[in-house]
Amino acid sequence: MSTVLVRRAVSASLVALLLAAATASVGAHHSFSAFNMREEKTITGKVKTVEWTNPHIWIWVDVPNASGGTDTYGFEGMSPNFLERRGWKRTTLEAGDTVTITFRPLVDGKNGGMFTTGTMEDGTVLTMGGSR
Amino acid sequence: MRTLRTWLSVASATVLGATLLAVPGGAQEFETKSPTAEDWAAMAKLPDFGGVWERGGGPPRGGGAGARGGGAPGGAARGDAPGGGTRGAARGARGGGRGRGGPSLTAEAQALQQAFRAVSREDGETANCLPPGMPGIMGQPYPMEFLLTPGKVTIVIEAYTQVRHIYTDGRPLPEEPNPEFHGNSIGHWEGDTLVVETVGFSPLTSITAGVPFSDQGTIVERVSLADPDTMMIETTITDPARLTEPSTSTAYFQRHRDWTITEYICEENNRNSVDSQGNAGIDVSVPTEPR
Repeated sequence: MSTVLVRRAVSASLVALLLAAATASVGAHHSFSAFNMREEKTITGKVKTVEWTNPHIWIWVDVPNASGGTDTYGFEGMSPNFLERRGWKRTTLEAGDTVTITFRPLVDGKNGGMFTTGTMEDGTVLTMGGSR
Repeated sequence: MRTLRTWLSVASATVLGATLLAVPGGAQEFETKSPTAEDWAAMAKLPDFGGVWERGGGPPRGGGAGARGGGAPGGAARGDAPGGGTRGAARGARGGGRGRGGPSLTAEAQALQQAFRAVSREDGETANCLPPGMPGIMGQPYPMEFLLTPGKVTIVIEAYTQVRHIYTDGRPLPEEPNPEFHGNSIGHWEGDTLVVETVGFSPLTSITAGVPFSDQGTIVERVSLADPDTMMIETTITDPARLTEPSTSTAYFQRHRDWTITEYICEENNRNSVDSQGNAGIDVSVPTEPR
């Protein structure tokens, strides 16, 4: 219950700060060139692990494939300092959580891309708002 | 005879040693003093720059969406702003100083910029975690903290975990400064305004994309409080070899008393990269061990 409440609070604060994040997060570190910014894809899977690291967090998700196994996708997000000021925690997403992620795919065609939004099983929406 | 030779050898070595020792003495040296109680008491009269400042917003009640001005200093809002030339990636940063046309370049600087732009770059060196240096480091989307102590202002910058050292103890600027990413800074107070002069910039920093500083480059920053929780920094870049006239811009910063500066070690897990031709890369190898 408390987890849900925390997550709903996270969601609310993230939504409130969506615009701020979208504008404030740009300008650091690297360009968007590794991502196809004209395309958006969505997958659902289980979190394998989260790298809560600088300069970017990476969320790794096992996604069921056609042959009955899973493929691991990697999603780049913003940085811990940025996200922690906007309601995220290192444990917001944990291994085993089911999550639906919308992302800008990698231009090289590999599995993954730039995280844009995530929806958790309880409906909580996670966003970084234009983050990289 | 042998004794004489030995003596001469020792003597010449002594002279040589004295000469070597004298070389550093020729450079600018300034000894810090132990601060007195009066020095500390004087700190209380300075404006309150404490807390953590995030770039963004406009002047108080000005209603502006961002800083106005030349767009170069710290201008993360421009795709071709200082910070490594992450072209197209940096549009619309809050408070970025997108100006009308940017700084006015000399013919020499225009040629440098044209040569830079002749190569299509997907990304700049910041993708490899090289910090942008001045003035780009002052335009990052992460906050910074000002520390005021007797004889010195220290700016702790979260982005790339950087620090600027501004000496307010009366020392002069170095006559032959080492080229550094943040230059060499001294400061003084004019009332409640901190005036910072900086010279000696690394060729890896840039005034604007593709235009590094010459050895004549200087930056003057006037730092003050526009209202109790808004800091204003007016930045003027002068470089006769690169700019036809000084370029001035103004940026604003908002205080967050509930924030703490955190660590940002870019090399920790940097999966982005750029090669010498400007081609961007990304490493999506799945981690084998949890972090």
